[in-house]
Amino acid sequence: MQNRNCANSVSRPIRFMRVVPFFLLALAVTGCAEVAPWQRGTLAKPQMALDPYPLHSALRAHNYGAREAASGVSSSEGGGCGCY
Amino acid sequence: MAVINSGEIQGAIKSSPLAALTAAALALPGLVGAPAQAADDEFSVQYGHYQEEERDLFGVKSTYRPIEVDTVQGNGNIKITDRVKFLFNYTQDTWSGATPITTAPLAFRGNSTKSSTDGVSGATPIVNGELFFDSQLNPVQTDGSRTVTGGADNRLVHTLSAASPETRRQGDFKLGYEWDEAAANVGGGTSVEDDYESRFVNLGGRLDFNQKLTTLNGGLSYTASDTKARLDHDLLPYVDTGAYTDQITRTAEGGKIVQGHRKDWGAHVGLTQVLNKNALIEAGLGYTYSIGFQENPYKVVEVAFINDQIPAPDGAAYVGQVRALLEQRPNVRNQLSGNLGYKRYVEAFDAALHLNYRYFLDDWGINAHTFEADWGQPLGHGWTLTPRIRYYSQDAADFYVPYLISQQAYNSGRFDRNRLPKNFSSDHRLSGYGALSGGITLSKQFAKGVSLDLGYEYYTHQGGLKLGGGGEGDYADFDYWVVNGALRVNLEALAASSDHGSHAQHQHHHGAMAPAGVMFEHMLDKGKFMVGYRYMHSSQSGDMLHGANRVSDPAIAAGGCGSDPCYIRPNGMVMNMHMLDIMYAPTDWLNLMVMPQFMDMSMTMQRLAGAPMIDEGPGGAGAHIPHHVENGHETGGIGDMGVYALFKALDTGHHHLHMGLGLSIPFGDVDIQLRRNHKVDGGLIHYGMQIGSGTLDFKPSVTYTGNYDDWSWGAQLSGTKRLEDHGETGFRFGDIFQSTAWGGYNLTHWLSATVRGVYTVQGTVQKQFNQYIDKLGPMDYPMNYGGRFWDVGFGLNATVPGGDLAGNTLGVEWLQPVHTDYNGYQLDRDGTLSATWHYAF
Amino acid sequence: MKTMHRKTAAVLLALLANVSGTPARAADSGDASPNCTLNSIDGARAFDLGEFKGKVVYLDFWASWCGPCAKSFPFMNALHHELGGKGLQIVGVNLDENPEDAKTFLQQNPVDFTIAADKEEQCARKYDVKAMPSSVLIGRDGVIHHVQMGFRADEANELKAQVEKLLTETPNAEHAKP
Repeated sequence: MQNRNCANSVSRPIRFMRVVPFFLLALAVTGCAEVAPWQRGTLAKPQMALDPYPLHSALRAHNYGAREAASGVSSSEGGGCGCY
Repeated sequence: MAVINSGEIQGAIKSSPLAALTAAALALPGLVGAPAQAADDEFSVQYGHYQEEERDLFGVKSTYRPIEVDTVQGNGNIKITDRVKFLFNYTQDTWSGATPITTAPLAFRGNSTKSSTDGVSGATPIVNGELFFDSQLNPVQTDGSRTVTGGADNRLVHTLSAASPETRRQGDFKLGYEWDEAAANVGGGTSVEDDYESRFVNLGGRLDFNQKLTTLNGGLSYTASDTKARLDHDLLPYVDTGAYTDQITRTAEGGKIVQGHRKDWGAHVGLTQVLNKNALIEAGLGYTYSIGFQENPYKVVEVAFINDQIPAPDGAAYVGQVRALLEQRPNVRNQLSGNLGYKRYVEAFDAALHLNYRYFLDDWGINAHTFEADWGQPLGHGWTLTPRIRYYSQDAADFYVPYLISQQAYNSGRFDRNRLPKNFSSDHRLSGYGALSGGITLSKQFAKGVSLDLGYEYYTHQGGLKLGGGGEGDYADFDYWVVNGALRVNLEALAASSDHGSHAQHQHHHGAMAPAGVMFEHMLDKGKFMVGYRYMHSSQSGDMLHGANRVSDPAIAAGGCGSDPCYIRPNGMVMNMHMLDIMYAPTDWLNLMVMPQFMDMSMTMQRLAGAPMIDEGPGGAGAHIPHHVENGHETGGIGDMGVYALFKALDTGHHHLHMGLGLSIPFGDVDIQLRRNHKVDGGLIHYGMQIGSGTLDFKPSVTYTGNYDDWSWGAQLSGTKRLEDHGETGFRFGDIFQSTAWGGYNLTHWLSATVRGVYTVQGTVQKQFNQYIDKLGPMDYPMNYGGRFWDVGFGLNATVPGGDLAGNTLGVEWLQPVHTDYNGYQLDRDGTLSATWHYAF
Repeated sequence: MKTMHRKTAAVLLALLANVSGTPARAADSGDASPNCTLNSIDGARAFDLGEFKGKVVYLDFWASWCGPCAKSFPFMNALHHELGGKGLQIVGVNLDENPEDAKTFLQQNPVDFTIAADKEEQCARKYDVKAMPSSVLIGRDGVIHHVQMGFRADEANELKAQVEKLLTETPNAEHAKP
């Protein structure tokens, strides 16, 4: 049977480069507004945590990973109260 | 040779087509671990149930149940010093059910038996046969034998096969060090299941800039995995494994094991930036390089070999000899993914909005997009509701193909492999499709650092949802739903919010604590809570006993199965129980307790010397014997839940007496089945491997404890009385009566030792299964269950005396069998290990 | 591709600029402690730090949403009971934007040392608070002796030792740097 896909109109290296702009865009945004260390009350709220339910997220990621081809790591840290 | 017989799958062992679904080919356990920056001194436990809905078989009624998975997970963070943190995680999944092993044109009838085209006798996967094509190489409709009844029919259908239950276990840890503005961690772990094992290590770090407004984090991981897949015994004659001859070893019973090794290297960086007082963004980039065996060894691809020598029936132009080949995937995979997330506080609702987009790309031709959004809405009084929505879309892999046509004859396997594509797979995970899911999490934060989170999600996978169209057809669509619940206990918050420290002293300053294997032995003062975890491991192995005496194989074969002969006997059995104890004292004289549990069991068997050698058990079940012997059986899932009320009768400080009334609610399965094979249903797995009791049971108890100085002692009488005549599958277990007495001594102020004796008596199983069961050995017969048991226990208990973790108690006990007198024929007992952790606050 | 390179360079420069850190300001060890006006937590009374000259001042900047702050309160309370009579003045400066949050926190973590509110954030800025919580140890001579960022139980003992040492010193105006 003929192969269903011949989606190779764009060569591999250039396709990889498509992903990089996302990261650069993020970097370009560094240093936005000045937020003093004591002004982080809102960011410290539990609902503002990047991952308020890590166990739930892990289970969901596990289910998606078992059924989908894309895998991804999203264990970003940061935000929150910024306490030392 | 023109005659080609449709081969029916001659039964299948518990080779799981969906085995290693979790860790194999696509998901990496090493990368999805506990986050290093979780709260301090927190323990949590989670249970999840995943349930797929039935797949579309175009009117064929499948006797297979769709896949379901029961997961239990335990997690802990401990602060070893102010800057050193240790995280550990344990996950266990048990799954069973039907999954596609391949795709074929509908005209091929892979899911029906040859004799009954409407599948009345139950769907049986067929992977070899004939298919007729028209001059354009479209499959044509037939009546099931060689008569063409219609024109081109390009519809496809999944061919399903089922799996008996299987359990996967994973343990991992992370050790981290925190500086003021940086952190580093190192971790590792392993994931083990019957046919797949994976070991991983990882390194991670975090840097904070700008007074922690900007955070950069990164990680590296390495995973090595080994596959030892036992191919479906009954598929063996019908699956071409020619491409894998160097990797296949044969077994004593004639099976084939495919071995493969794979390595994955992963790297990941992430950036989090606070935008203003109310918002932040995060971005991440990840890369994974995988090399080695990437295939799913249980998936095959149907290849129709066009044989010009075979004359086509009227209405068709070509005859294709359909054969199943193990799928072939590239040896190398490069994966890249990037994500961008945004989190914003919405003042009007005191809520948080989260948006995330992820793009994935690999060199297998798969591009995938994921869009996620969720809204965290506090509802007051510690309640939070978080609805979420997710859309996912992926392209098909370059080598994805539902089935292949090759313009050459099969020639008994001597066809030219070079004329097939180098890689091919019909695994729906590699096809083009979109998926939409919606879910909700409801969380309640109790005042003292305890929170309960409940979640539900419904997910639909549909070819039609693919971004840009062109996804796989409707036949491949399926849905699933998940419910899960997690309990989190933050010890630091609990310690800070109560004077538990002194209380803990009060609770246990007199005498030692009861041994770990005794339950409900202790009552709490008014207003107090206790959470605990209890693990029990018991095993049986060695000789078979008839009553109290060792019995030889020929005797078992003759007498162990009533009037039928026995063919096999167990040679090892292991049971693991994970229980959560949650206790609350509304008044001084009443304590309420709830005890959910999760259980898994496994058993291996052997043939009985002296058993009839013909593989013809009752109803043809003897054909299953090689499978029982070559593979063990595993079952697992949520068990029966106990709810108890304890009433204090007497408390003089030195002597304490209380009574308990409890109910066991039958959440545990009693209808677990083995796979159909050899044209015979697998039937129910024997009574001892079912997870629950199936009946509502009454559990009364009376406990006495006493103490003086460093000495303590106690006794308990307890029982289980079945309140129903039988459970949903027709039987009930025997009633149980247990009496135990113990003594303990404080070795130091934080460590005590206990010794105890136990006598237990249990009745036989009453009535019997009302559904089909293969009766091949003594464990399949109700009269063999139960008995009288004498055990001696040795235990140690430790209390954390001070510091942040004060009030935690740990106990361990080994119960050594001293005498066993079974009601019939059973395997001798090795003993039971109990380990408990409790925290009162 | 050229635009890609330029964009990358610009972005990396921006990142570096932020990493290099903020320039040093008024409140480091060895500087004279800035004076600032505070209010009592219910807003009724205003006072300034100058009132405590001659005492050792433990100035702690805290907020209700800050986890380590909650852990530091029992330590500071114990320090107040033990050394308050010997010339130690603890001032807990609350930086909550919503005073209700501070009141709830104080109900759950009651303490006996002085609590003040810094509503206009001018005290926090004068002391250039860089972390939450921050504790500034000021000697009897009004000179900042130590700035502690964050709170960890292990480091508490060291802080206590420093406080005790400061209590034994007599005020000496020559130590102050302008």
